[in-house]
Amino acid sequence: MSTFEIDTTINGRPVRHSVDARKTLAVMLRDDFQLTGTHIGCKTGNCGACTVELDGATVKSCCVMAAESDGSEVTTIEQLSQGGELHPMQEAFSHNQALQCGFCTPGMIMSACALLKTKSEPTEEEIRLGLKGNLCRCTGYDKIIKAVQQASKDAPSGNPDVTSAAPLEATALNG
Amino acid sequence: MVNVGKPIKGMNNDRLVAGGGSFVADVQPRGVATMVVLRSPHPNARIKSIDTSQAQAVEGVIYVLTPSEIRENTNPIPEAINTRALGAQYAPWYALCVERARYVGEAVAAVLAEDEATALAARDLIEVDYELLPVVPNAEVALAEGAPLVEPGWTDNVLIRQKLVTGDPEQALRDAAGTVSGRIKSARIQASPIETRGVVASWDQHRKRLTCWSSTQAPHVLRTYLAEAMRLSENDVRVIQPDVGGAFGIKCPTTQEEVLTSYMAKRTQRTVRWIEDRQEHLLAAGHARDVEAEYTAAFSSDGAITSLQMRMVADVGAPIALAGWGMAYVTWLCVPGPYKIANLETELIAVVTNKSPWQAYRGYGKDTASFFLDRVIEHVAKEAGLPSSVVRHRNFIPSNEFPFMQPTGAILDSGNYAGTLDQLLEKLDFEGFAARKAEARRQGKYIGIGLGQELTPEGFCMPGSLYAGYEASTVRVTPGGDVSVLTGVTSPGTGNETGIAQIVADALGCSLNRIRVTQGDTDSCPMGSGNYSSRSLMLGGSAAHLAALEIRKQMTTVAASMLGVSADTVSIIEDVFSSTEAPEARVTFSEVVQQVYLFPHGKHMDNTDPGLDTTKSFKIGNVYHQPEVDGKFNGYPTWSNASSGAIVEVDPETGVVKVEKFVLIHDCGPIVNPLLAEAQLQGAITQGIGSTLYEFVAYDDEAQPITRSFMDYTMVTSQEAVDIEVGHQNTPSPFTPLGTKGVGESGVGSPPGAITAAIEDALSDLDVRLTELPVTPSRLWTAIQAAKTNVMAEVAQVPEKEMV
Ligand code: FES
Ligand code: FES
Repeated sequence: MSTFEIDTTINGRPVRHSVDARKTLAVMLRDDFQLTGTHIGCKTGNCGACTVELDGATVKSCCVMAAESDGSEVTTIEQLSQGGELHPMQEAFSHNQALQCGFCTPGMIMSACALLKTKSEPTEEEIRLGLKGNLCRCTGYDKIIKAVQQASKDAPSGNPDVTSAAPLEATALNG
Repeated sequence: MVNVGKPIKGMNNDRLVAGGGSFVADVQPRGVATMVVLRSPHPNARIKSIDTSQAQAVEGVIYVLTPSEIRENTNPIPEAINTRALGAQYAPWYALCVERARYVGEAVAAVLAEDEATALAARDLIEVDYELLPVVPNAEVALAEGAPLVEPGWTDNVLIRQKLVTGDPEQALRDAAGTVSGRIKSARIQASPIETRGVVASWDQHRKRLTCWSSTQAPHVLRTYLAEAMRLSENDVRVIQPDVGGAFGIKCPTTQEEVLTSYMAKRTQRTVRWIEDRQEHLLAAGHARDVEAEYTAAFSSDGAITSLQMRMVADVGAPIALAGWGMAYVTWLCVPGPYKIANLETELIAVVTNKSPWQAYRGYGKDTASFFLDRVIEHVAKEAGLPSSVVRHRNFIPSNEFPFMQPTGAILDSGNYAGTLDQLLEKLDFEGFAARKAEARRQGKYIGIGLGQELTPEGFCMPGSLYAGYEASTVRVTPGGDVSVLTGVTSPGTGNETGIAQIVADALGCSLNRIRVTQGDTDSCPMGSGNYSSRSLMLGGSAAHLAALEIRKQMTTVAASMLGVSADTVSIIEDVFSSTEAPEARVTFSEVVQQVYLFPHGKHMDNTDPGLDTTKSFKIGNVYHQPEVDGKFNGYPTWSNASSGAIVEVDPETGVVKVEKFVLIHDCGPIVNPLLAEAQLQGAITQGIGSTLYEFVAYDDEAQPITRSFMDYTMVTSQEAVDIEVGHQNTPSPFTPLGTKGVGESGVGSPPGAITAAIEDALSDLDVRLTELPVTPSRLWTAIQAAKTNVMAEVAQVPEKEMV
């Protein structure tokens, strides 16, 4: 098994890690760092359950090799709610019942946050477009769209910035 | 009621939005090894030999499991529905295919390795010598004279045949004002939850006990069947259901992989994880629908349908032990659904082929019956020159005739079908639509409106099966005043735990935040059949209601003694007991609980049992299980129903359809949680829209599957998501304590009928007739061209001078 030594910042915390060259970023986050909020629904880049932020842009982490994250900053769903406080987008999803099983939800929220970063008050059409890479089999999307609309209104200055949150407690990572 | 009827958000929402779900892939015990499954690339092949030596030699490979070992050391997987009891043919099904692989994707061998990559690499090194056998790719071939047999031991390729004749359909045909005939087909589709299936199993060598975490809907059923397949006692098996990322029927036990993973854990003394990938899910987790019907209906001039003949052929794939094929039976059972038709002849032929087997999917066959009946109604309406709403009204079972027994033996508990339809027509402004349509046409737009009707029986109680349909719940009050509710039902993303908490809070008179609901652990939860057939709130909630009432009675006795009043004057609201006898006096929930636990021998406890811990079972009425009487039985206690309407815009140049609006007026009796009910319905309708326009599992003529990823299996995304409006009517069931009926499957059945009718309406000048799902752009475009040619042909027949 060949490995790569990588230096990555995960949820605000720098880590040095020796990673199996065959692992995707999604698998590394889940198996090596127990960041299991990033889900895997297809491994082919279609469902979006594995959406994370890599250097400020969303990626499907099932389609990025772990080694590629060397020198990068990775942000996952776990970074959004610090000290038990939900992020406004998470709050809006919860409040609007924009989830049922919750499997697509972390990826959906990562994409929604990224959308609001580029556009603080998106139209319904823009929300639909921004979330089209995230499949949900449970909800029919109506309440998801409502949640994103609400989150954008609740933060009219826009930009609920994912990456500016405080670094994760070191104990939450075992790498 | 303080809580029931309120739109309270799901109790697990905050945890799930934070990424704190614990799904089966998140169960990561130390030292867990990964199992992968080798699947047959052939639709029908005899396995001559398997050479695992190279795979076994790979560093990091722990074990390679082959069919002979499974055949020797395990029993066939128990059937979810007893085929022989229903007069169907039986085929044993093991965790690995024994002798023959009968569909592409059937499990042939399994590899356990320290990590996934190693397991996958080793899997490629297994050499299987297959002898290819003649393939039965579809129902037509299966039923042809001299067809090869999917199961060599069977008499033919028919799994089950059901036939029913009542009245005199032939005479009715002769007497009719008009008749229609046609052929219709539903597409082969799949539940496809975003979380695939998955199992983690570990074997405790000291206790000799298996723990199996599975993304399952029914942990207790899985425990019994897993024990049977593994030759263990049920005491030696614990099944835990972690959070489930959607199920919709496809995660009903017992699958090959549940047995395989468990066997592998016991055999190797390792903790074993198997997480299905998407391709495996599409190939092997099971399909649904794929039924073709031929019909003839006779009607009188006022639109009354005087007879209906329908012959349905279902391609259920290869025979296995899962409950999927029962959907074909239910389709047959649900004809003629909400309509009262005196002369009836229905036939079901469920045929086995070399396609992937059926597994349960939301709707469980009722969807297909709704679609077929909607198509027949539209056809009759068109031919009779009446609006389809009039034909529906004319044929509905009148609301004063319930409970109503259909000729199939189904007993419909209650309903007011005319009521939901009237409410729908008003909401859609059906009358005013013609003007909107004309205006749109002037602007060059083709819009249309269509109606659908669904009857969605719920709470299936299957005779001779662990899905037999009773349910148990425990309500327990702890010394600190917390209330824990444990249920046999589960919630794979449906939110029923929240609804059950609401019911218990009201029955106990306590505040909602005292309550925690625990589900899905066979070591702690009472026995039950889990989640299927929208039964969780109806049956599990009813059992919890009964248990909570008993605790309330106990606590009221103690409170009455503490207040010095008689018990029948005591009531409790939001944690406080009071009495009409002493209006000023109060005693709190916690004070009563303390009396019970701290002074069990005290005077306030003289008239009641110690402890606050009750388990109640609930058996619902309106079910009878005597298949020997006329071969009929009623497995469905409650019958939810809905009327729906779609407004679509069609681009006749491309065949692309856009659903502008979808309205569903639903009737499931009183609603426990309107927010969660609406959420469920929106999701179900969206799945129904997917099955109408986008989704299908394709096979080629040799039974090779073409649909292998989400690139090919195209579900509704946020882009196609439709503006959905849901309304309610409340016709309680007389057979449940709160009058509730199921809600989880409603909404999938009527979109196909409503949308196809709306498309035809949009293209009304062309007289397009849609007979097959899904209505993809290419299929619709072809239908439009054919209709245009017909119009041209008709035009061509008109004498030239009349044309100018
Ligand atoms: S798991 Fe990455 S897109 Fe589906
Ligand atoms: S909430 Fe279940 S997939 Fe979206």
